Amino acid sequence: MSARLKIGALIIAAASIWLGAGCATIKVSSYVGADLRPYRTYDWGPPDTWSTGDPRLDHNRFFDERVRAQIEAQLARRGFEKNVSGQPDLLVHYHASVSQEIDIRQLDRSLSHCAERDCGPFTYDKGTLFIDLVDPHTDTLIWRGWAEGSVDGAIDNQAWMESRIDAAVAKILARLPGRL
Amino acid sequence: MRRLQHTVMAGLVGIVIAGCASTISVSSHVDRSLNFERYRTFDWGPADALPTGDPRLDRDPFFKDHVQGAVERGLGARGLELTSSGAPDLLIHYHANISQRIDVNRADRAYGYCGAGDCPPDIVRYEAGTLVLDFIDARTNTLVWRGWAQHSVEDMLRNRDRMAKTIDQAVTEMLRQLPPMR
Repeated sequence: MSARLKIGALIIAAASIWLGAGCATIKVSSYVGADLRPYRTYDWGPPDTWSTGDPRLDHNRFFDERVRAQIEAQLARRGFEKNVSGQPDLLVHYHASVSQEIDIRQLDRSLSHCAERDCGPFTYDKGTLFIDLVDPHTDTLIWRGWAEGSVDGAIDNQAWMESRIDAAVAKILARLPGRL
Repeated sequence: MRRLQHTVMAGLVGIVIAGCASTISVSSHVDRSLNFERYRTFDWGPADALPTGDPRLDRDPFFKDHVQGAVERGLGARGLELTSSGAPDLLIHYHANISQRIDVNRADRAYGYCGAGDCPPDIVRYEAGTLVLDFIDARTNTLVWRGWAQHSVEDMLRNRDRMAKTIDQAVTEMLRQLPPMR
């Protein structure tokens, strides 16, 4: 193989690693437990005490404050009011977790998007963010939305982490049924 | 000529791969609205309540002494004073965590630098250590800076000299991420 070809192969390999890792897509889903229309006000429920699975994020004020601020902003946009008088219609909880995933690139392989020797598996850190709306009077889950996607490199870069949080929360809460 | 280029590239890739295994990755989060020059003194705060530690490190006095010593030296060099007066500006605590992670060796295979028989295993399991250092403003009781270092810990759990060296390097590099102080 000539040097030029080899450099070409290197660039392609680097690009495919970048594309794979760069799958910055955020997948969101939601669960609707009840009609949201009667609910207007919310407050924060007790913070969750489970570990996120990543020591960088446990008890991390910078992560926590950004998630809360973004949830509050998105709820306000959708007509929900924060009520700290002790009688809110809804309690809001969030939970974040991070786990290492292995992508075996089955799809790439089956669609021949990679040559045999470039088709190896790769690993990435998957982040998941859950947002729950709970009726405090009946203690039932009224709505849950969650997002998952690669957070590779994002925790190590504060500004990038903040933009990933903003995008994930906005995308999750965009699934709230309109109440206006 | 072609053989020379091949050797040079193989060498470079080798360095890059070896480099990945031995470099410590450090990063931090910070309260950007604060001026850190206001802080003059620090003390060690109570340990984190969250059980994220690993008994192999938590109960190891050698580990504890080295982490605390490295932090005290690093902050001393920045003009901060360790105080036991009971009224420090900053409370510092750390926790260490070990988790099993998987690494995939793709490069050698992908670039054809090893044949089918002599390629290293595709998937390697290793123990990743994370050392987290928290700075808490003692007056407001809020986290104002968090730094961390991550590194494979297998060799260092068996070798005290290496543990001491790794801790020194991790703490030095972490503290370099601090905003200007004093």
